[in-house]
Amino acid sequence: MADTPLLEMQHISKSFFGVKVLDDVPLTLYPGEVLALLGENGAGKSTLIKILNGDYQRDTGDILIEGRPVAINEPRDAEMLGIRMIYQELHYAPDLSVMENLLVGSLPRRRGRAGRFFIDWKEARRFTTESLKLLDVSIPPDALMRDLTVVERQIVEIVKSLSREARIIVMDEPTAALTPPEVDRLFQIVERLRCQNVAIIYISHRLDEIFRVAQRLMVLRDGRHVATRRVDEVTPAELVELMVGRKIEERIPSSADSAGSQPVALEVSGLTKQGAFEDIGFTIRRGEILGIFGLLGSGQFNLTRAIFGAEKADRGIIRVEGRAYTIAHPQEGKNAGIGFVPVDRKVNGLVLGLSVRKNVTLSNWRNLVRAGFFRQGLERQHTQHWIEQLEVRITGDMEVPVRFLSGGNQQKVILARWLEANVKVLVLNEPTWGVDVGARADIYDQLEQLAERGLAILIVSSDIQEILSISHRILTIYKGRLTGEFSRAEASKERLLQAAAGGGS
Amino acid sequence: MNTRRRWLERGLRSTDVQEVLALVIMLVLIMLLMSQASNLFLTPRNLTNLLMDTTTVGIIAVFSTMLMISRGLDLSVAAAAAFCGILIGRMQETNGLWAGAVVAIGAGGLIGLINGFLVTYVGINPLITTLGMLSMLRGLAFVLSDGLTIPVFDLTGQRMDEYLAFAQLAEGRAAGIPYPILIMLGLFLIGLIVLRSTSYGRALYAIGGNEEASVLAGLSVKRYRMTAYILSGISAALAGILLTARLYAADPRAAPNIELTVITAVVLGGTSLSGGQGNLFGTLLGVLIIGALLNGLKLQSVSTEMQNIAQGLVLMLAVAIDQVRQGRVMFGLGTLRRWVQRKSTG
Repeated sequence: MADTPLLEMQHISKSFFGVKVLDDVPLTLYPGEVLALLGENGAGKSTLIKILNGDYQRDTGDILIEGRPVAINEPRDAEMLGIRMIYQELHYAPDLSVMENLLVGSLPRRRGRAGRFFIDWKEARRFTTESLKLLDVSIPPDALMRDLTVVERQIVEIVKSLSREARIIVMDEPTAALTPPEVDRLFQIVERLRCQNVAIIYISHRLDEIFRVAQRLMVLRDGRHVATRRVDEVTPAELVELMVGRKIEERIPSSADSAGSQPVALEVSGLTKQGAFEDIGFTIRRGEILGIFGLLGSGQFNLTRAIFGAEKADRGIIRVEGRAYTIAHPQEGKNAGIGFVPVDRKVNGLVLGLSVRKNVTLSNWRNLVRAGFFRQGLERQHTQHWIEQLEVRITGDMEVPVRFLSGGNQQKVILARWLEANVKVLVLNEPTWGVDVGARADIYDQLEQLAERGLAILIVSSDIQEILSISHRILTIYKGRLTGEFSRAEASKERLLQAAAGGGS
Repeated sequence: MNTRRRWLERGLRSTDVQEVLALVIMLVLIMLLMSQASNLFLTPRNLTNLLMDTTTVGIIAVFSTMLMISRGLDLSVAAAAAFCGILIGRMQETNGLWAGAVVAIGAGGLIGLINGFLVTYVGINPLITTLGMLSMLRGLAFVLSDGLTIPVFDLTGQRMDEYLAFAQLAEGRAAGIPYPILIMLGLFLIGLIVLRSTSYGRALYAIGGNEEASVLAGLSVKRYRMTAYILSGISAALAGILLTARLYAADPRAAPNIELTVITAVVLGGTSLSGGQGNLFGTLLGVLIIGALLNGLKLQSVSTEMQNIAQGLVLMLAVAIDQVRQGRVMFGLGTLRRWVQRKSTG
């Protein structure tokens, strides 16, 4: 490690509306290292990063690059200093080609006096192919962004930020949508960048990644600097404690032995949708948590959507508590007693502008409405009940728009909604994406309690740790087909990964 | 963090109140200005006229607000009103005025049904759908009337009672207030209650706020949407009937540009073009503000053309305010300050 830091941020403070979100935070980054930036949602990570990128202005503090103070007042300043951001949400033009997205603003021009009015497509193509080779991928430069998978889009985004002279790269949850092999590939690239003395600030909720990729880590909590350590000096448990501020025990899923004698809640057989999934059959008993593990793009989301009716299956039978239903619309799924928590709750799960109360009761007005009118007292009562049951933490009361809740609490609001709708089966897609470590354990506990009370729960996740720590039984899916079934005792990371990669069980 | 959230929350809850207050101030200012410009403005007679003139816009605006809260839009309302008036004009001799009125209401509902079907089931953009409907209905109105104004009064002197009763729709008063004004205010009140405390109102907000989430929550989004369009069509028919009664005539050119006035009033009143928020207090104030503005201009003998220009300006202003409110407008003092900084440092 070099002696002079590439980047120093000193005594950074920032307040919004008179409230300190960053309080005297330091950050030091050396050339050729990966510094992991950790903290729960709201700890101030993104504010710090946005100050570095010039999106926000710091109230106090200095930023030094190679020992010299610099002024970063807007993103352009940061870009000129070689600071690059790779955000969680991708910014791209879906109807333009890969090369156009990659070279946006700097498409090569033809030679000659009039040439500057014309784009040199040949050169653009060559450049794109070569840049993509950096990440060891072959995406046709002419393909439209729209037609790529999420993963491929992200790769293009990463390549884009690399292709311009970069000294500091900030990666905000870059692996959220990547499969394990792709994560490996990304880490190889990170390694290569390190060798070129590029410094990387790496933000992720996945702790195992931190230990693989970072040399040092820095933890923020409630806007304050908690610790900066070398990665080999801390254990995962210590790290979580630093982040959360209290001890969190390793999860061992509760036993579901009693579920064996329970009646079947959901039975799916022969469910097929051309091009998405084929001949899917399984059962879930009351009180059971069934996990489906698959790498992203294995058809698992189409499957769950079809079970709920958000997508139409070509054929197959869905039985809820023994009764067969035709489910072609979410309403029919709901009426059959199935609740559905979509992958991206902000986009698809909640009406963010409506209050907690209105979101909690959104799926079942039957008991709350008399002659078209809400019985407001009763509605409040029901909402209060679920807020207490699920320990939803709201600053303020149930009239606060859901927008202002944290990810974990938003997730609980969706759970509450389906419980209020009195469903028998709950289907969850990636239930803890973007949820803090602390809130995550909390959600697992809640799900387990719900199962104990007789709810059948289906969880689809690409997070193997999540699947292993909560499921009573695990299925693997690969290319739209179920490839394995494991009891808790049989399941291991290796076996699941092998089955989910099509290796059989 | 907590105090910050609480601040946001409080800010948000008072926003509605603030906006309504801002609108009241705007209304008062316009009225002050207009009363300075003309001493006729504040006379009871002119104020009644002003209110009567707003009824067409007001009645339609109630249902346009509901529609726009659910992220819909109906540009065909004015054309529908004129078309429904022509229906009455054409049917007055053969079937009688009341039968004509009933058919008009039915036609309004059907127009809304077609709009709604095209938008929700065929998936055509509401702007285009209702723009097409606008064009068709104006065309139909001209065809059915041969492009002429159809007088709606008793030419033969044999059906005096029927015609008088029909004219009463517009001229009758209760407690000194003309029926159309009462009808408009009544609809605002009903709409207010519907939006506030019924499941229908809740559904409109939810659908406009996040359609996909509403579908995935198991709401019958399409049905609610359809209903909103049908109600919009019916409100246009009602406005058309009252207009016909008031003018003693059915004019294929009736209610010119009223669809724009309606949208201006609704957006000015705080209903977002992107759906999910809005309230009828605001819309009522928006209707009154535009009514006062146009009435005042008329008193100054400002030409219709100039009035159109003024109205277009207000529409753009209202939409711009909506954009700022949605936080979509990014430029601001910060950008300017940084620009100056950059210029001065080199």
